[in-house]
Amino acid sequence: MNDVSETKLYRLEADWLDAALGALERDGVEVLAPVKDEDGSVNLAPVTASSEVATDYLNALIPLKSVFMPRTEVLIEYERAGVGDVEVLPGAAPAGQRVVLGCRPCDARALVMLDSVFNWDYEDVPYRARRDSTTVVSWACMDPGPHCFCTSVGGSPHSAEGSDAVVYLAGSGPALLQVVTAKGAAFVESLGDRAQPAADGTALPEPPELETKFDTGEIKTWLDENFESELWEEVSLRCLGCGACSFLCPTCHCFDIVDESTWKHGERRRNWDSCAFCQFTQHASGHNPRPNQTTRCRQRVMHKFKYFPDRFEQVACVGCGRCAQNCGVGQNLVSILSRIQSEEKP
Amino acid sequence: MTSEEPALQHVQADLEPGRLIPVDYRPDKMRIEAITVETPDVKTFRLTFCDAQKAGQFAFLPGQFGLYSVFGAGEATFCIASSPTRKGYIECSVKSAGKVTGELHQCEVGDTIGFRGPYGNSFPIDRMKGKNLLFIGGGIGLAPLRSVIGNCLDWRDQFGEVFILYGARSVDDLVYKEELETWRNRTDVRTLFTVDPGGETPDWDGQVGFVPTVLEEAAPNPENTIVLTCGPPIMIKFVLNSLTKLGFSLDAAYTTLENRMKCGVGKCGRCNVGNVYVCKDGPVFRCDQLQALPQEF
Ligand SMILES: Cc1cc2nc3c(=O)[nH]c(=O)nc-3n(C[C@H](O)[C@H](O)[C@H](O)COP(=O)(O)OP(=O)(O)OC[C@H]3O[C@@H](n4cnc5c(N)ncnc54)[C@H](O)[C@@H]3O)c2cc1C
Ligand code: SF4
Ligand code: FES
Repeated sequence: MNDVSETKLYRLEADWLDAALGALERDGVEVLAPVKDEDGSVNLAPVTASSEVATDYLNALIPLKSVFMPRTEVLIEYERAGVGDVEVLPGAAPAGQRVVLGCRPCDARALVMLDSVFNWDYEDVPYRARRDSTTVVSWACMDPGPHCFCTSVGGSPHSAEGSDAVVYLAGSGPALLQVVTAKGAAFVESLGDRAQPAADGTALPEPPELETKFDTGEIKTWLDENFESELWEEVSLRCLGCGACSFLCPTCHCFDIVDESTWKHGERRRNWDSCAFCQFTQHASGHNPRPNQTTRCRQRVMHKFKYFPDRFEQVACVGCGRCAQNCGVGQNLVSILSRIQSEEKP
Repeated sequence: MTSEEPALQHVQADLEPGRLIPVDYRPDKMRIEAITVETPDVKTFRLTFCDAQKAGQFAFLPGQFGLYSVFGAGEATFCIASSPTRKGYIECSVKSAGKVTGELHQCEVGDTIGFRGPYGNSFPIDRMKGKNLLFIGGGIGLAPLRSVIGNCLDWRDQFGEVFILYGARSVDDLVYKEELETWRNRTDVRTLFTVDPGGETPDWDGQVGFVPTVLEEAAPNPENTIVLTCGPPIMIKFVLNSLTKLGFSLDAAYTTLENRMKCGVGKCGRCNVGNVYVCKDGPVFRCDQLQALPQEF
């Protein structure tokens, strides 16, 4: 990924962010950038001025997936039209043109995985519409956090996968931009003279090093053989089944479809859901194929590190570390995978 | 094991590699044309598309399912229980079990409901041609079988002997009573209908006994036979044991799975059994392949 041709590197002037926000606003493009909330957490939110943008953040609390697959969205609406009949209306129109300015490379890389699912023989129209109308500009990580493990799952603090462009910030001074896709090139256009082709011989900075926590190949080998293992019960004992880890996971995409209605009017909504929840797979008869937290924890690990690779030739984890950081009981993928790694290599 | 088919063969008919089918989750409207009360908690709905163009284009294969919706209550998954050879309408048989199914049971002829589909793979009609067919159904599990039985009987000369074994808890719980009678009266179909011990009535003239027991007593010949079996998981489990005892090979037996579904198109992550997605790779599975999967269904 680092051998991008020189012509695709640009030098951005120190005030490039203001130039970008001004130009995009003029064009009617919404910009989503990291914004610090009152409680100190950072999330992607609409911005119009560079002063609102948090440039020195670790990662957003809510992952980038929410831009393409909102926590809740209206799939269809309907109105009652006479006795027993309804008029079905399409859901909310897909978003207009948007630029995400400043997500992390791991979150952008998660889009590659989500793209696989949402275009798997059937194209998910609302997801695809948002993908098509959104440009993703990520900010390369210079200072990864204690929970980051992107390099253990095939990523890098400077990964360009899933991004349309990657910006290498250097304090508040001039920055370097790497164009990855045509959408990224269009973004550079919008910067006008604030972006100039980088001088010959300009190289991308070396990514910071991260400790490798496990080997996904070895994990997969163990998972292939150990659907039945005492380890699952052991590692799931503490799990509360709260679903925080999956809601905050940039690749988890499970959803529910429910109707919310009054007598005359109704909406069919898609909401985030989680395989950690006890009713997730429960049949109407009461029978539940995954009846306890042990089987549900196993599903989550298996899905990410065995089933997903089996079907899509990639693990469904980008190493953002949110699950490790936010689990209320200190239980998470990293701790489970490290356990598995020690089983594999005693 | 030798088999004419690759693992998890029969992908959905309208899926071609490289061609994406757009899904916007918008259902087509269907009108309830007729309602048959099958049992105290099962009703069959005959449905036609409100949109004439859609009605003209619609095609499906036996074994496929749809997402049916009652506006205001939500969506639920049912197989298409009518035969694809009977054009112009579809039927589904619904057991009242919760929110959507309960609301559906309140609907009346003329009401509008929603439909998305057809989704999923189908029974292996091509492989069944020229073979003897053994259908084993339990309870409302006869619904998906009814679609393929109807199809086969409409193309009767393309198959060998046809044997239908069907059982329910009680006489009251037998679905499709009219069709059971029609099948029984045909000379080119062998039938055996049974109810669980204690479920019989004084004028019941069928068998009394659990489906697997009745199957073993009937001892159908495994030779050149394809088995299709649908019913409660516990019945399937014992039916497979009985089939093995009788000398059937499970690579010639098929069943359907009913894992909970939301999207029907491989996105919502709800229906998987191991790395297999029931909505995309199923709901029809060859029994030997099913046994090789994690037993999470
Ligand atoms: C491929 C496939 C084919 C199928 N074919 C058929 C068919 O042909 N006919 C058929 O009848 N069924 C069929 N089913 C099963 C059918 O999909 C379910 O019975 C149906 O979806 C139930 O929907 P519901 O909204 O009525 O139930 P839900 O309201 O979702 O309820 C399901 C169960 O959960 C319980 N429940 C709901 N909410 C709660 C709560 N908050 N707390 C505790 N418990 C709760 C309910 O009491 C109920 O027992 C099929 C399923 C699949 C996957
Ligand atoms: S692992 Fe932690 S965050 Fe995830 S469901 Fe269990 S308790 Fe919640
Ligand atoms: S029903 Fe959604 S993935 Fe199968």
